[in-house]
This record gives sequence, structure tokens and C-alpha cells, in this order.
Amino acid sequence: MKNKAKQKQIAIKILATIFSFLIFGLLWEMLVRFSDVGRVMPGPLETLQSFFEHFTEKYSAYTLPEHVWRSLRRVLTGYFFAAIAAIALGILMASYKTIDAIVSPLFNMVRPIPPVAWIPLAILWFGINDGSKYFLIFWASFLSMVQNVYAGTKSADPKLIGAAKMLGANDGHIFLTIVLPSAVPYIFSGLQLGINSAWAMAIGSEMIRSTDGVGWLIIRGMDNNNLLQELVGILAVGIVGFALASVLRGVEAKLCRWNKRGT
Amino acid sequence: MDKKRLKYFVISCTSVIVFLGIWYLCTAVLELVRPTSLPDPVTVVKTFFYKLTHKAPDGATLMQHMYSSLRVALMGYALSLIIGIPLGILMAWSKPIDLLASPVFDFVKAIPGLAWAPMMIILMGIGIASKGVTIFISGMIPCVLNAYVGIKQTKEVHLWVARTFGATRRQMLFKVAIPTALPYIITGARVSLGACWMTIVAAEMVASSSGLGYMIQQCRGIYRPDVIIVGMLTIGFLGSLLTALLGCIERALVKGRDYEK
Repeated sequence: MKNKAKQKQIAIKILATIFSFLIFGLLWEMLVRFSDVGRVMPGPLETLQSFFEHFTEKYSAYTLPEHVWRSLRRVLTGYFFAAIAAIALGILMASYKTIDAIVSPLFNMVRPIPPVAWIPLAILWFGINDGSKYFLIFWASFLSMVQNVYAGTKSADPKLIGAAKMLGANDGHIFLTIVLPSAVPYIFSGLQLGINSAWAMAIGSEMIRSTDGVGWLIIRGMDNNNLLQELVGILAVGIVGFALASVLRGVEAKLCRWNKRGT
Repeated sequence: MDKKRLKYFVISCTSVIVFLGIWYLCTAVLELVRPTSLPDPVTVVKTFFYKLTHKAPDGATLMQHMYSSLRVALMGYALSLIIGIPLGILMAWSKPIDLLASPVFDFVKAIPGLAWAPMMIILMGIGIASKGVTIFISGMIPCVLNAYVGIKQTKEVHLWVARTFGATRRQMLFKVAIPTALPYIITGARVSLGACWMTIVAAEMVASSSGLGYMIQQCRGIYRPDVIIVGMLTIGFLGSLLTALLGCIERALVKGRDYEK
């Protein structure tokens, strides 16, 4: 009986989703058809058609999936190293006061600067090619992760640590069995934030200077007054962003089953 | 205890001084780095004071750039608060709206705000309107999201109590749900402010003729990292200032609520 109710709920949700996108498409179509916007802006069907056509057709040198892959490769590389660095530094800062005292003031000086503001300097330092993009993606996701790791490591219950110490546990043992488990949920929300900023940064840096990638697609659309190409780019950005977030959420749900945060 | 705190304070100060010292040593004394990629700290300070009054090399003084960025950012921010918060509340409160709006919103949420900038520029030109709308979109998302989550946090029991005492649905929303959601809404406003500030800088770098983002982007082209660093620090400083201001408003609001009781 309960199962049936659940099934019904899922069915309603799927229907509503389809309906929701249909209404959105209809509004878009009406906007294009009955207003001046239509002179420059393509409708939803045209956009979708072009989107699928470019799975085989090329924008300059690459097809759409190849552009997506190029952006994605930058994101995943930068993000991977940023995650390692952020987890290591966050845990070190939270565990050793001296390291905290050394790093925190420097960190607090640069933290208020939005990562996009680093683009010009990064280009001067690492050139206009992939070097600067790896740096920017690394930096953007690192900044958004490190604080969560720090907060997570600090969140361990001091009473538990005290009890463990009294019973003769050494530092390594305390870290592995008390500090780390309580930090993991925070680390995961940091990883979520990090992938969002990494993806946004990839688009941003590609928009400023590049020769391929989804950000390039969007900006080249602007340069050529080609809104169709831009919309296809935005659609791709949305789909990939959504997929990245969903994958991480899935991993978190699998790994941290004991601590399910409502999302 | 105090002695310990003093010790860490000294370590922090030393850390900053050592950092600046290494920077100075590598650039001005040993000249390991070309001044076209990293200037020495003294030059940066000099450039800051120079930019306060001079228009070279990018066409406007620092104040003019700041004014231009702040104006657009705050306009977009205000718009995103005014539309985003009620929209979030509405989506959480009404089941049909939730079912219809959430899927599209979830998709739009996944698109970084600045990806809209080029499209808005085509539709509205490179002036204030296009940037304002881009900022509005990126600022609205956290507002909606937090207001939505906040309203959903309302405890069923509280609603039942309200209903038992004969509250209308409207009263339940304004007297029970929204007060519960207020801390979340405020968090949303804070996140949104950061998003707006980041987006204005990015949008100005993509296409613009003034603003701090424009300034640093122009100075990259002419190899003036000193102006870039001045710009970055100004952006960071203004960002913190805005967040601090919001904190003050927040505290005033919360205090007002306590006083009411």
C-alpha cells in the first residue's frame, strides 16, 4: 500500500517535471514569436535541434561534446589537485595552532578577492593557454573547500576527544576514529561547493581568453552575434553543471549514509 | 592563556611580514621576477595612491571605477532580493508552484550566472541593463534556494498548533513559516551578495567600458600588474565592506525582533 503511494508520488513528480519544461518552452517560444526579441533570439526547438546537430557538426575545430570534454578536463584536473590541497591544508590548520597562525592571516588577505578577479594576473603569470586556466580552477575550488574542511575538523566533539585521551588513545587514533568521521560531512559539502566554483571558473576563464571549451562557445557566439550558438553553450553548461553536482551528491549519499543531511 | 594568545599573534604578524619581505626581496632586490609579471609591494602602494587621482592608464580614477561597479552590483542585488526571496517563499509554500517551478529552477541553478552575460549583452547592449540582469540572475539563485529551504524547515507541529487556534493559511505563512525561515533568508542574502559582487567583476571583464573588472582586464593587455593588484585588493576590500554592512543590518533586524517581544 505504501509502495503504491510512493509510486504515485514519483509519477506526479515526473509529470510535473515534463510539464514544467513544456511551460517554460512555451513561454520562450511565445516571447520569440510575438516580440522583437525574436529577431535575434532563436526559439526552443531551434536551439534543441542545433544542440543535437552539433554532436556531429563542428564549431570551429571541435564538435559540441569535444568542447564540453575540453572544459571538463580542465575542471577535473584543477579540482582534483585543489581537493587534495584543501583537505590537507584544512586538516593541518585545524589540528596545529602554529600552522593556523601562520597561514590564516595570509589566507584572510586573499579570501575576499573573488576568484574571477585573479584572471588577469593568472594570464600574466601562466600565459593565455591552459596553464592559467588550471591555476584559476585550482584556486577557485581550493578557496571554497578549505574553509569547510577547517570547520569540519574543528567540529569534533572535545568531550569525545578528552574521553579518548583519558583512555589512552594516541593522536593518530583520535584523528582517525573521532576527528575524521565528524569532519567528513563538512568535507563533502565543501567538495560540492568546490565543484560548483570550479565549473563556474572554467566557464569564466574560457570566456575571457581561450580557443576552445564551452565558455569559448558562448563568448564566440557574442562576438558573432550568434545567439543560437550561445544558447546551445548555455544549455551544455547547465547540463554538465547539473550532472557534476548530481554525481557528487550520489557519492556522498553512498559514502556518508550514517549522516544524511537533508538537501 | 593570554601569553599563549600573544605567542600566536606574534607568529601571525611574523608570517605577514615574512611574506611581504619575500615578495619585496624577490622583486625589488634580487629581481627574480620581471616587473611586468609581478611588481614589488612598494610600487603597488604607490600605484594605489596614484590611481586615486589619476585617470591613466585605463581612462578613469579608482573612485570612478568603484562607483560604476558598485552602482550596477547593488542595483542587481536589490532586484534579486526583491524578486528572489518572495519567489523562494512562494515555491516552498504552494505545492503546485513547487512542482511546476522547481524542475526548471534546478536546471537554471546549475548554470553559473556569468554564462548569461554574453547573451544579455546581445539582447540589451553593453550598458547597465545587460549587466544588471546578469547580476540579478546570479544573485537571485541563492535567495530563492535559501528562502525555499527556510520555509521547508517549518515544523509541522507549529503549523498544526496555528491551525488549531484558527489561523488562516495566510497567518500561518506570515506568523509561523516566515519567522522560522528568517535566518535562512538572511544567509541567502549574504551568499547572494557575494555572488553579485563576483559576477559584476566577471561581467565587466567580458565586455564593458568602466568598472573595476574593466580596469584589471585593460591593465592585463598593457602589462601593468601593479594596477591589477591594486584593483584586486580594492575588489576584495569592497566585498568585505559590503558583507560587513550587511552584517550590521542583519544584527539590527534581529535585535528589532527581540525588542518586539
